[in-house]
Amino acid sequence: MNADISTPHLDLADLIAEANGEATGNRVRGHLAGCEQCRREADRWSLVAGGVRGLMAATPEVTQPAQPVRPARSAVRRVLATPRRRLVFAASAAAAAVLVGFAGYGVANLVSVNGPGTGGSGGTTTLTAVTGCAKLEQATGTLDRVGGDSLVIAMAGGKSVTVTTTATTRMNASGPLLDAVTDGASVTVVGKGSGGTVAANFVVVGGNPSIEVPDYTILHGTVSDARTGGFTVVTSTGTRVPVTTSDRTVVAISNAGLAQLRTGARTTAVGYAGPNGTLSAIAVFQPADWLPGAHAEVTVKDCSPDSINHTIMALTYGG
Amino acid sequence: MNDPHLGGAATFTAGRDPASDDAELLRRIGRGDEDAMAAFYREHGRIVLAQIQLVVGERVLAEEIVQDTMLAVWRGARAFRGESSVRSWVIAIARRQTRDRLRRQRLRVVDDAFLAERPGSDPGPEATALDRAELADVTAAIRVLAPAHREVLGLVFGSGLSLQEAANVLEIPIGTVKSRLSAARTALSRILDEKGQNR
Repeated sequence: MNADISTPHLDLADLIAEANGEATGNRVRGHLAGCEQCRREADRWSLVAGGVRGLMAATPEVTQPAQPVRPARSAVRRVLATPRRRLVFAASAAAAAVLVGFAGYGVANLVSVNGPGTGGSGGTTTLTAVTGCAKLEQATGTLDRVGGDSLVIAMAGGKSVTVTTTATTRMNASGPLLDAVTDGASVTVVGKGSGGTVAANFVVVGGNPSIEVPDYTILHGTVSDARTGGFTVVTSTGTRVPVTTSDRTVVAISNAGLAQLRTGARTTAVGYAGPNGTLSAIAVFQPADWLPGAHAEVTVKDCSPDSINHTIMALTYGG
Repeated sequence: MNDPHLGGAATFTAGRDPASDDAELLRRIGRGDEDAMAAFYREHGRIVLAQIQLVVGERVLAEEIVQDTMLAVWRGARAFRGESSVRSWVIAIARRQTRDRLRRQRLRVVDDAFLAERPGSDPGPEATALDRAELADVTAAIRVLAPAHREVLGLVFGSGLSLQEAANVLEIPIGTVKSRLSAARTALSRILDEKGQNR
């Protein structure tokens, strides 16, 4: 084959254009045909480009309209429903208060939890307005089943509500979910430190909540060496901190998938009313320690995006 | 006026000129058209999310930054002057949102930027690591590159920006984009080489 190696080697712009499959013209094609050095360079860049595209192609879709009838409004709602406020949690020094400190941000200010048979919507309705913002609805009950992008919450009186979710619905599951603490997971640990080891009271998996709990050690990092009874947190500076867990350690999965929600657990969904009595959820959460039959009344200050976001963040990390 | 809901995807794909359609979408968004915002989201949301996630490495945070970005688009569509492609315009917004968010979180998003342009030994022994590598190895190695390296690779190979557009987004000269790309590939080769030696 005639090799046009009399021309200068290809520059980076040419090689990148080739890797991107752009029309590069006879000069580039001709040179590549005869220059093994440039051909190998082009192959290397193509491999890099393929790796980048593969990585980015693995990113799931973002924001599909929840309701085909009104996709635009749903999209804008989601734009305006961005959780982005820093949360500062406060708790007493008592160990038991650590969980209350987390959940307390939501429970004390944003969610009132009533015991079985007290107040609430009971079996008379499925959706109830969120206190402080009438256009937001909520449903509390027991998670009956999950299918596709939806879940069904069974409520008192034999009623049930179908809750639809999207990629941006915030879902939280809390409880003795130590199985979720796996190598490579991003975690925030709240516990008592002693002798270089932290005994975890509370572990948030995913997200990066800003947490302040007086007298407690807060660790942010990545899980390594996960095993029964503990794991190691590798912080951003590379420090390795041993963490012990027990059957009292509560794990909150801040960005749970539908598959991680526990069937049979008390579940609250918050969102906008959809067709046929469905609820298009902006948040679904399963608290750790509610009694069977307990229900929550979610409260927002008002309908402003900031107020809603504030609540959703609290539910996500502390609900 | 056509209802984009009735037109469905065909409204934005049949015989479309991406540049003019995007610009028209932004004009409609500037007038407060929620349908246009939804269409814009569908058109650009995923690639913006992919680019941000490539840089920050965390899905939840990336989604929040996308939301912030789209909110900025909603509020600032009127400011688009058509001096760049809409894709590079929205990615530039996303980059600023990312930088602001990570700065607030006291993370150093481009803490390695000053190292990013270090010239690599090219071609050298490290190139052989890339020659031996499989695509899956490369994908895995990209995950552990420095953010500034992942970012420039994502812009040029993932988001489809030209070198000049990448330079505009990154606010650096085009020559620096090239040297950063080369440095990214050298770093990638080193990672692959280390992985190969550890096998």
